[in-house]
Amino acid sequence: MKISVINGSPKKGKSTSELMIKYISSQVGEGNDVSIYGINKGAVKYVNLKDIKNSDVLLFAFPLYVDSIPSHLLQILIELEKQKPFSKEIMVYCIINNGFFEGEQNHIAIKQMKLWCDATGLKWGQAIGVGAGEMMSFIADIPLGHGPNKNIGIAIKRLSNNLMNKKSGEDIFVSPNWPRFLWKIQASFFFWHPRARKNGLKIRHLKRKQI
Amino acid sequence: MNVIIHDLSTKESETLFTGLKSETKLISNNGQIKNCIGCFGCWIKTPGKCILKDNYEKMGEILSLADKVIIISRCCYGGYSPFVKNVLDRSISYLLPYFKIKQNETHHRQRYKKDLLLSVYFYGKNISKKEAEIAESLVKANSINFYVSKYNVSFLDSSEELYNIAEIQ
Repeated sequence: MKISVINGSPKKGKSTSELMIKYISSQVGEGNDVSIYGINKGAVKYVNLKDIKNSDVLLFAFPLYVDSIPSHLLQILIELEKQKPFSKEIMVYCIINNGFFEGEQNHIAIKQMKLWCDATGLKWGQAIGVGAGEMMSFIADIPLGHGPNKNIGIAIKRLSNNLMNKKSGEDIFVSPNWPRFLWKIQASFFFWHPRARKNGLKIRHLKRKQI
Repeated sequence: MNVIIHDLSTKESETLFTGLKSETKLISNNGQIKNCIGCFGCWIKTPGKCILKDNYEKMGEILSLADKVIIISRCCYGGYSPFVKNVLDRSISYLLPYFKIKQNETHHRQRYKKDLLLSVYFYGKNISKKEAEIAESLVKANSINFYVSKYNVSFLDSSEELYNIAEIQ
């Protein structure tokens, strides 16, 4: 089976989207032709349109920006829509991650992707809405399906099974198997503050007003 | 101050916005906008300001000076057009990186202690009911995240209908 993956992260280095793609790739098994396209340079020319048109499955992994699809991916979706009609039935799956704790906050972007499928004539498969996206890399060494990775592990397995069988499934929303209040405190002390200090800032500078 | 973020062509905007009050700030597409690169620099490197230099780096500050934000956008898959979305993606410095719980959901805290008013005009031929519903839920979600106290959403068949809207004349 030919699987084309669009990594919708704008980051040049590691990203949660990349990690999610790694998780799915680990589940789909060998013998499949998987092509991964990064769009951090923004332009559709970096995506092999011929390859995509010949795919059985199209998987999008991207971060949620301001409650919806990030602008750089939106531009590429518009370009892809112009390629229609697609001669074969292509199933579309998505893994969308956001910075908030609740995976449910990805619901609007999922609906947008479904509208894109309608407009493009592709068949909707399934989506996972992942919460606490920035936490994922911190717990990447914990096996999927265990501890804080319990929920995402179950979701990845379900989506991968449907993807392999080209089946549709209900959208899944997950947050880490971890207390929200603890995640909220950790976000400040283990994520924002160390990064600010690394940039030579004091913690009070983070609340700086520009006026 | 009112802020108008729009995706109209230069020709359209020159005609539409001729009578605007001088205290209105127009955010137009100069063709040079860069997309957010997810670096969080606007929170942890230059707090309150985007690190990308393209004349759109001060969106957080501009929103802090606004009483009302008016968005004019082609409706695209139940959301904003790429340019308008790009401006919003580059506006998160308006908020703090820290989280708070609102309506049992996590959202970012306010950098500026103020609320905004928001009017959104989506235009486009044959905007479906489904598309309109998604667009409305998007504006509602944006309003929660950007601390908007009152918002309204309108759908127009074409950008020409904007000439009948009093608040953008």
